[in-house]
Amino acid sequence: MMRLRGVVVATLVLLGAMLAFGADHALGQATLVATYAIAGLGLAVIVGQAGQIVLGQGALVAVGAYVEALLAQRGVPPFISIVLAMMAGCLAGACASLPARRLGGLYFGMSTLAFAMIVEEVLTRWESLTRGGAGLSVPALGWAGMEAVTPLAQFLISAAALVLALVLCRRLCAGRIGRAWRAVREDEVAAAEACGIDLVRAKLAAFAVGGALAGLAGALYAHWIGFISPEQFGLFFSFELLMLVFIGGARHLRGAVLGALVIVSLPQFITLLRDVLPGDWGRSAGVESVLFGLVIVLVVLLRPQGIAAKGRAG
Amino acid sequence: MPLPRLLAGLCLFLTTLFAQGAAPGVSDREIVLGSVQDLSGPAAMLGVPVRDGMLMRIDEANAAGGVQGRRLRLVVEDSAYDPKRAVLATRKLLQRDQAFAFLANFGTPVVMATMPMIVDAGRLHLFPFSPHESTYTPLHPLKFQIFAPYQDYMEAAVRHMVQTRGYKRSCLLYQDDDYGLEVMKGVDAGLGRLGLALVEKTSYKRGATDFSAQVARLRTAGCDLVILATVVRETVAVMSEARKVGWPVDMLVTASGYSAQTHELGGAAVEGLFGISVLPHPYADGANSALADWVRRYRSRYGAEPNVWSAMGYSIADLFIRAADAAGRELSTAAFVSALEQLETTRDFFGSPAYRFSADDHLGNRHGRLAQIRGGRWEILSDYLK
Repeated sequence: MMRLRGVVVATLVLLGAMLAFGADHALGQATLVATYAIAGLGLAVIVGQAGQIVLGQGALVAVGAYVEALLAQRGVPPFISIVLAMMAGCLAGACASLPARRLGGLYFGMSTLAFAMIVEEVLTRWESLTRGGAGLSVPALGWAGMEAVTPLAQFLISAAALVLALVLCRRLCAGRIGRAWRAVREDEVAAAEACGIDLVRAKLAAFAVGGALAGLAGALYAHWIGFISPEQFGLFFSFELLMLVFIGGARHLRGAVLGALVIVSLPQFITLLRDVLPGDWGRSAGVESVLFGLVIVLVVLLRPQGIAAKGRAG
Repeated sequence: MPLPRLLAGLCLFLTTLFAQGAAPGVSDREIVLGSVQDLSGPAAMLGVPVRDGMLMRIDEANAAGGVQGRRLRLVVEDSAYDPKRAVLATRKLLQRDQAFAFLANFGTPVVMATMPMIVDAGRLHLFPFSPHESTYTPLHPLKFQIFAPYQDYMEAAVRHMVQTRGYKRSCLLYQDDDYGLEVMKGVDAGLGRLGLALVEKTSYKRGATDFSAQVARLRTAGCDLVILATVVRETVAVMSEARKVGWPVDMLVTASGYSAQTHELGGAAVEGLFGISVLPHPYADGANSALADWVRRYRSRYGAEPNVWSAMGYSIADLFIRAADAAGRELSTAAFVSALEQLETTRDFFGSPAYRFSADDHLGNRHGRLAQIRGGRWEILSDYLK
């Protein structure tokens, strides 16, 4: 019943956006919402389920995006290249989790930040492969003469990938590994000593899943944007993903979708609002950013546990 | 019918419905223009004056009766230099606002992400702020550029500097990205034509603030000319570091460092810096009467001093207006392209180059002028270098 209600609400939101923005624009937004939600879902597993602080998730998305771009340029079919991008994200996530053997809390978070900086530096410096700061043009997602160039096709692909990712994450969270993640999140020492959970393996699994989803999101993002460069996956992008997860509700998988909706679509609604503001006020530089910041502060004040959480503040 | 198929069918129906009857942005009374600028991101200090300059010229044209009886309406969207936001903004401008043409889209990542979408939709992509050659080559009927490529004007500038001033040991400090690499190609080509090569080159990462290591390295190499592929803040930092360690070497910066902010921030440290100008800074002091009047109107309108970016924005809007006017009352994309390809501009009161397009070449200018900071302001030293 809840799922049906969610589908109906999502459909109504999409139809409303189509009326407000026009079909292509609304579907373009929905595509990016779904793509960001996949990356957010990976982060929700690591942060919300396993309780690990990650400050450099953008780097894992970058790995997926670059692997996909490079393979697509060489004509590798997408059903192979996207799987390889996910595997690369998975491997990068596993690497990023290695310091968790010795570090915890904020110190581990700082190590993920350092990992992200290393990835960005490698993408910038390895010019023979990545073209450095000049960036890479990414061909349209397609195979055997068919290309996903329309907003509708892109939306359907991203939405299907998001649904699959949600189903996978739900199954994982409901299983033994999901219980292990939550035990680690609540109390690492008790999880290890009382329940016999292998902390390293649990964290590694969370990062591998989160990295694979980040890789998938990166692969799709690369095709939808059509051009990638290291600066697009910098620290601001990582913080944007982190904000997405906390606004949506880090402990709820559907929070990633709601957070992505806020992060991607809210600025667009503010743009519409700005267009109807009287006088030159709407022309002021940065007015969207100010309004966006205000709305985010309000959301955090009213729903400190995230939009997906049931309880309200106070 | 299963729910996903029903939803997909509904989406397809709505897409078709909304796609039909779309106007190209030209009505009996109005021409809609779009622009994706950085108004709140890392390049907002450039994007805001570009927007202001365009709006000023457009409002002037509207006050004078518009273009062939049509008012111009410029819709500016903020990308904050983020390709994702730029893509969404472009879709809005294409579909909701029905922009006839895109003017001066700002930043290479933004331009590279949005340009294919714009030209695929059959809209004009005019004069973007990006050095990327794909903005004008290979030839595309809807793409036009007026900003000289770094590679072209730096080749001429370095050659001119070495020939006229006799430098023997040229070195390069460059930003580690597309911009820096383009400049390096031009410098290598310019020196190569004189049978010379760079003695030393070193790079920095965007956002760097400490250049002591780079300056020390260049000084150790005995450079007598340091070419800077830097932007304003980095230019000031490099010059300040060199002067601080007592190294009075000559430096030449690209047009990205040619800004009033360079001497305003750098003060005495940047005195003597050479730079390349593709459009002179609009100083009020010593201005011709038309420029002085423009500066007064700009100040009155925005309560701020204009800069070279404001002038560029104004020039871009002016170029569009001239071409649209030449295209006549029956304005269409094809008529506009034809008019722009045949347009013959002369130098305006800013001291701009004469822009020339043709059916075979959509890059309107390839040249820059040598300038130098003297007495706390940029002085133009040469004509456009070829």
